[in-house]
Amino acid sequence: MYEDTKLIELKSISKSFGDTEVLKNINVYIRRREFVTLLGPSGCGKTTMLRIIGGFETPDAGQVIFDGKDIQKVPPYRRRVNTVFQKYALFTHLNVYDNIAFGLKLKTPEELLPNVKKPSRKQVKEEIDRRIRRMLKLVKMEGYEKRSVDALSGGQQQRIAIARALVNEPEVLLLDEPLGALDLKLRKEMQLELKSMQQQLGITFIYVTHDQEEALTMSDTIVIMNGGRIQQIGDGKSIYDEPKNAFVANFIGDSNILPGVMHKDFEAEFAGHVFECVDEGFKENEPVDVLVRPEDIMLIGSDVGMLVGEVKSVLFKGVHYEMKVDTGDFVWKVHSTTMYPAGSRVGLSIVPSNIHIMRRMEAEGKIEA
Amino acid sequence: MVKRLYKYLRGTYLGFLLVLLYSPIAVMIVLSFNESKTRSKWGGFSFKWYKELIFESPDIIEALKLTLAVAILATVISVILGTLGAIGIHAAKKGYAAALINLSYLPMTMPDIVTGVSLMLMFVFVNGFISLPRGFWTMLIAHITFDTPYVLFSVMPKLKQMNPNTYEAALDLGCKPLRALTKVIIPEIRPGIVTGGLLAFTMSLDDFVISFFTSEQNNLSMLVYAAAKRGVKPNIYALSTIMFIVILILLIIINKRSDLENIS
Amino acid sequence: MKRSYFAGPYAVWMILFTIAPMIFVVFYAFHTTDGGITFDNIIRCFDATTMKVFLRSVKLALMCTMLCLLLGYPAAYILASKDFSKYKMLFVLFILPMWMNFLLRTYATMSLLENRGIINTVLEKLGFERVNMIGTEGAVLFGMVYNFLPFMILPIHTSLKKMDTRVIEAAQDLGANPFRVFARVTLPLSVPGVISGITMVFMPAVTTFAISRLLGNGNFMLLGDMIEKQFMESHDWSFGSALSLFMMILIMLSIGLLNRIEPNKGEGGGKW
Repeated sequence: MYEDTKLIELKSISKSFGDTEVLKNINVYIRRREFVTLLGPSGCGKTTMLRIIGGFETPDAGQVIFDGKDIQKVPPYRRRVNTVFQKYALFTHLNVYDNIAFGLKLKTPEELLPNVKKPSRKQVKEEIDRRIRRMLKLVKMEGYEKRSVDALSGGQQQRIAIARALVNEPEVLLLDEPLGALDLKLRKEMQLELKSMQQQLGITFIYVTHDQEEALTMSDTIVIMNGGRIQQIGDGKSIYDEPKNAFVANFIGDSNILPGVMHKDFEAEFAGHVFECVDEGFKENEPVDVLVRPEDIMLIGSDVGMLVGEVKSVLFKGVHYEMKVDTGDFVWKVHSTTMYPAGSRVGLSIVPSNIHIMRRMEAEGKIEA
Repeated sequence: MVKRLYKYLRGTYLGFLLVLLYSPIAVMIVLSFNESKTRSKWGGFSFKWYKELIFESPDIIEALKLTLAVAILATVISVILGTLGAIGIHAAKKGYAAALINLSYLPMTMPDIVTGVSLMLMFVFVNGFISLPRGFWTMLIAHITFDTPYVLFSVMPKLKQMNPNTYEAALDLGCKPLRALTKVIIPEIRPGIVTGGLLAFTMSLDDFVISFFTSEQNNLSMLVYAAAKRGVKPNIYALSTIMFIVILILLIIINKRSDLENIS
Repeated sequence: MKRSYFAGPYAVWMILFTIAPMIFVVFYAFHTTDGGITFDNIIRCFDATTMKVFLRSVKLALMCTMLCLLLGYPAAYILASKDFSKYKMLFVLFILPMWMNFLLRTYATMSLLENRGIINTVLEKLGFERVNMIGTEGAVLFGMVYNFLPFMILPIHTSLKKMDTRVIEAAQDLGANPFRVFARVTLPLSVPGVISGITMVFMPAVTTFAISRLLGNGNFMLLGDMIEKQFMESHDWSFGSALSLFMMILIMLSIGLLNRIEPNKGEGGGKW
């Protein structure tokens, strides 16, 4: 899909703050023009990883390769990346225009106008002005040049923060929970806008969030992290359908996760029953985690089906009902458009292809990208 | 009806206290314009004592020069020390920062007289090795010492209010560290720096106790003390009136910038 | 370069000019003029003359604190009330004197209280006898209250203003009459402000000098005046240093004591 070149590569990165290890042997690469999301709960190390790429933290061990070169020693002000910070970090003593102009004014005239020999002051000024106006147009903030940044709404400040970073034409834009402070509706709009900006500009975005829906909406590739380790790397669909462990399954989407045993290939036992499944390659009688998505369980009339249970509670969720069904061994979360009232007995049916067998997390060693 | 009476009573009480607080000052201001030398007689309005202050009191002019020179220099130096100190403490690790903040509280909790005495002892000791008579320089050092914490504590809240990523944003956009400081951090905390500077200037103009022990040259307050011990003289009223007005104006400006009640 | 290094010059300055000078005080307190180690100066801090001065200082400071509390609490309470809190400048007027030269203000008080001062002139005009005020303990006390009253009003006002008005409404809602609301809710909640007000008045009051000299005609020597005398008149620096140490310990003890009463040290006092 993209030029298959590795733009950024993190090799065996580890980082500790005091006694807490925030990153443990991280290995990941990011391709040119890719939209990569670092996803995980707070404290999983995703922001630290971003800050290492930005140059604001130095890893204790490992290498950061950018475009084939080790950039460990390159300070942030010389890296070809720019950052959109959490809560924006706009310069409150400057107006909108000067905030965006900030990075441009630090460039030499030759950097700004490589094709002009000995550019004049006027030419430089015009070039800066031209770029700022183009950016304001891109983020839909034309006419706000002279405003104080304090007078802008959260969403507008967000746009200015993006413009301030993008105007420097970085090869990579780092975004640290940029939409975290916005309300839901605005957040959804901005997600789409960011995605289209990225496609329009054709640069790499590395995006940090703890919101799984946001990650699924925007990303080409999602890197799921927990406890300083990468849990899984892949596109949204493969992560949803084929989570590698219970953590990923739980974090992405709703799920029923229960302990089970893999008798042999294509046969697993859980919830007191033996089920046919499509997974293979496990040891004989290996303890495993079993994932069944709530929407993959079919409810059928009572006393038929593999499992029988009693509906404990019903919640109306708009498109579907969410029911808790107790089968004695396990309380299942079931999504269905048909409603069975609490107290009624129902049968549960799961087709083999919807049973997903995962290795136990303890047994998971290093997960390769 | 009862409610209005209650409000009226409370207002009266406040008025009584205000009279208590301000009547001596008001009386002094009035008397500074009294033609007659005795306080018991109003001899008519006159600028006589002000004229005497300006044209016939070389010691007062000397003290004024000293006071202003010390106040201005102490303000400039304490603004630099205090601002850099605040930035440093803000960026420092917790333990180190806490130690420095406690160190800054020390001169504020110590009685002025002890601060003055301790500095005096040290200056006298140092004077035994290098020539450092108690005068302008020692007073300046003492004033910087009590002024700087005021600057520090005016700047610290501004740094705390700032987005923690602001400095990094400047680096990210291409600033070298020192440039990020001058182009971003300092402008962002400028209101705190100015307030701190004004406070330092006021404190310095105003100081009596610490100056008294650290300098043998009189500043204005010391002059007032020396005169007061000898009894009251109307030209000192005139001097006090001018000092009051100047300090009052400074305080009102500071209060406009940030509530005085937060700075005690 | 690490940004924390910027604090270097400040740290050096503060150590050099606040910690180091204290070492001199300690040194002088334990040394005779010819350099020998002695405890005489410390012992002298507990002789009859010094104790008299010490007790007088504490007595006057306590009386001053009491009076400031009695006068200041109602003032702070009224200023924080709904009817008066909208006049912001009014409150500023009450606390402005905090930053004004205490010497000038004391000097101004002299002109009120003097034998030929304003009050006596007015009394005389009205046909009364002159009252001898300057040189009395009352005059010294008046000068101290006058100087330190704002230090009591500020922290109490802050603690009252910070109080959640809903708490008071809740108390009213639960059936408490205004006096009960005050006694059971407002007063206990303002204790931190009162404690820090007491600290802020007692400390300068017990260490003050010059006030008694000017308003008491030197008849009521206080601890501060005694220290001044050792340095400026008797040139007994060792004893003066010992007294300074004594005063510092007194201050530390009082701060410790007040912190005990209210562990989360109050609003305003020493806090920014």
